[in-house]
Amino acid sequence: MFSPEQMSRILIAAPRNVMAPVIGELHHQRIFHIEDFIEDDSEEYQGYRLGVPLEGAGETSTELLRLRSVTSAFAIRPEDMDPSQMLSASRLKDQIETELPEIEKEVEDLLATRSALENQAKELENTIESLKPFAGVPVDLSLLHGYRTISVIAGYVPKKVDVGVAREEYYAESKKGNLLIVAVPAELRPDVERTLLDAQFQAVAIPHESGPAAERIAVYSVRLEAVKKEMAEVSAKIDDLRERHAGFLVACDELLSMDVEKAEAPLRFATTDHAFIAEGWVPTQDVSAITDGITRASGGRAFVTELPIEPGKDIPPVEYDNISYARPSQLLLDVYSRPKYTEIDPTLFISIVFPIFFGLILGDVGYGLILLAMSLGLGKVLKGDDIRMLLKVLRNASVSSIIFGLLFSEFLGFSIPGLESVLPSRHLNIGHAGGHGPAVPELMIMSVWIGIAYITVGRILGMVNHARQDHGSHRTRAVLANLGWILAMWGILLMVWSAFALPLMPDFTGVPPVVMGLSLPAISGAVMILLGIVFIAMDSGLELVELPTILSHVLSFARLVGVGLSSVAIAMVVNFIAIGMIIEPQLVNLSIFGVGLTIVGVLVFLIGHLMNTVLGMLGGGLQSLRLHYVEFFTKFYKGGGKKYSPFGMKRRFTED
Amino acid sequence: MAELDIAVQVAEASQIGLKALGAALSVGLTGIATAIAEMSIGSAAVGATAENKDVFGLVLLLTVIPETIVIFGLVVSLLMLF
Repeated sequence: MFSPEQMSRILIAAPRNVMAPVIGELHHQRIFHIEDFIEDDSEEYQGYRLGVPLEGAGETSTELLRLRSVTSAFAIRPEDMDPSQMLSASRLKDQIETELPEIEKEVEDLLATRSALENQAKELENTIESLKPFAGVPVDLSLLHGYRTISVIAGYVPKKVDVGVAREEYYAESKKGNLLIVAVPAELRPDVERTLLDAQFQAVAIPHESGPAAERIAVYSVRLEAVKKEMAEVSAKIDDLRERHAGFLVACDELLSMDVEKAEAPLRFATTDHAFIAEGWVPTQDVSAITDGITRASGGRAFVTELPIEPGKDIPPVEYDNISYARPSQLLLDVYSRPKYTEIDPTLFISIVFPIFFGLILGDVGYGLILLAMSLGLGKVLKGDDIRMLLKVLRNASVSSIIFGLLFSEFLGFSIPGLESVLPSRHLNIGHAGGHGPAVPELMIMSVWIGIAYITVGRILGMVNHARQDHGSHRTRAVLANLGWILAMWGILLMVWSAFALPLMPDFTGVPPVVMGLSLPAISGAVMILLGIVFIAMDSGLELVELPTILSHVLSFARLVGVGLSSVAIAMVVNFIAIGMIIEPQLVNLSIFGVGLTIVGVLVFLIGHLMNTVLGMLGGGLQSLRLHYVEFFTKFYKGGGKKYSPFGMKRRFTED
Repeated sequence: MAELDIAVQVAEASQIGLKALGAALSVGLTGIATAIAEMSIGSAAVGATAENKDVFGLVLLLTVIPETIVIFGLVVSLLMLF
């Protein structure tokens, strides 16, 4: 539970002619984590080379590539598909040869048609766009081009211009701009253009069309409509094809990916002309399963043996081994870093304490219910393993918020009538709430206690980790250093208790002094601090610089109260603005105007609480995660383990 | 005598006011400090995420680390007020 799954190092040696069945068996079992063979001059692997892919690897890859182009055109993603029924692999293989090329051809044709139609539509749109400026011109467009001695210029001008040469001209004012068309002798064109340019003239190309522009636009628009309709038909056909074949295509994708993976496996093995060797890891409990499987698949011609693990040289891959409740929290750990093989796996701690911290921060029945509904609702819509795990974490956290909401007696910032707050109250004096305000000192001390406890646990885990991983005198020193940190922290506490009387904490101020005005608890506190410093310095003198973190890390847990109180404050302010300031005064004597304002008040209430829910989720989630990552993990956790990724893939759409 | 009463009242009122001001300053200034610290982390975080989406979770955490400053400010102001 606190350690990763135990791994065994396995070596498989077999003749090359049973390579395919052995790979098939490994793929089928999906427990063998292949240790890639690297060609070097190491003694034990002299004369071995990297393997070559199995026969047919190239063709399968090409086929897969073609299939992927189809699935990407369809925008099909296997993750989004619900495996409705499993297709049999042998039947699918036949279908890949017979049906797949047909589908591919059909899709390619349809896609080609669609892109041709798209181009056509774009061209038509451009033509219509170029005709638009001339829609109001009463002249046939054919009269505007095709002259040898006359040049026609068209464009927009800010105001009417006199071009100053012999000309025919048309001028029309409109909102879009004032259209000017002039026909001038061709040899005078440069002069006219200069004049026009000075008058901020924007040229418009004259379309090579005949007939009145308005009429042409109508003709092209009809054509465009037709093309668009055709496009819609083709898209519908593509959608129909997608609908019909999506299941088949993802199954093909899975089968072909599997074949490619199998065919390329030898690239990770060491081979000679006649034999091959595969090294890798399997969970210790599965060793006999894999040995039996390979012996069966190779007809007894493969040799499978368990190799001894050399610490330091062989690094086993890490697979979590947690109870089902803790499993979703593995995601939170992977975000930080996967534990090393020899390290304590803190998933169980995070899975229990993260929801508690979240609940302590959010602690509101209303918000808890909203988040619970959200996590359950989204779980129905969203797919993907990681998202599911995250939603489960959120579900646990929201259940904990509901529980702490009951303990704090809070519902959307209101206190729950008839329910006394079991924990120190967090209700503030906002609006007409009254009461004695929040019990801040008690809350602070409560969070400090949580900090002290969690950090002590972290240091104890640090002692265990060092005892497990280190050797010789370094081991003793490292363990003692962790003990030193605990001693220093509790020593400071003892000193504080004998100097100040604090609520919810032991009070040693009344203990009579023994020597130098110090009482017994104070003396033992001082001794503990000194001893702690000595232990820490024995491991590494530089670490002493970190002594102030004892204080800052413990106080950091005050965020449990600080962030929590701010979320309560926002909720109460929203309630006060919406109900106390907007709605209530209107209800005294209701008018039409008052009804409107009441609706505004309800909106303020809803939007305010929605925003506070989002803030509470981010605040509660991030802050409690941070408490784990920064304050807890730094005491014992290193991480950096290699992920266990067994050879093979999870089959969702096909079966043998 | 009445003047003395008023003077005492004024003194008490301004005491409360100064307390509130102190609390406001401790939250406000630490908020600015956090913002300045998160500014550079945030921009680096966005850059890193653009390069590699996998680091999103980690950089999100790095970004919230300076939040400790403002939380200390909040703690101090709460202790001042209550």
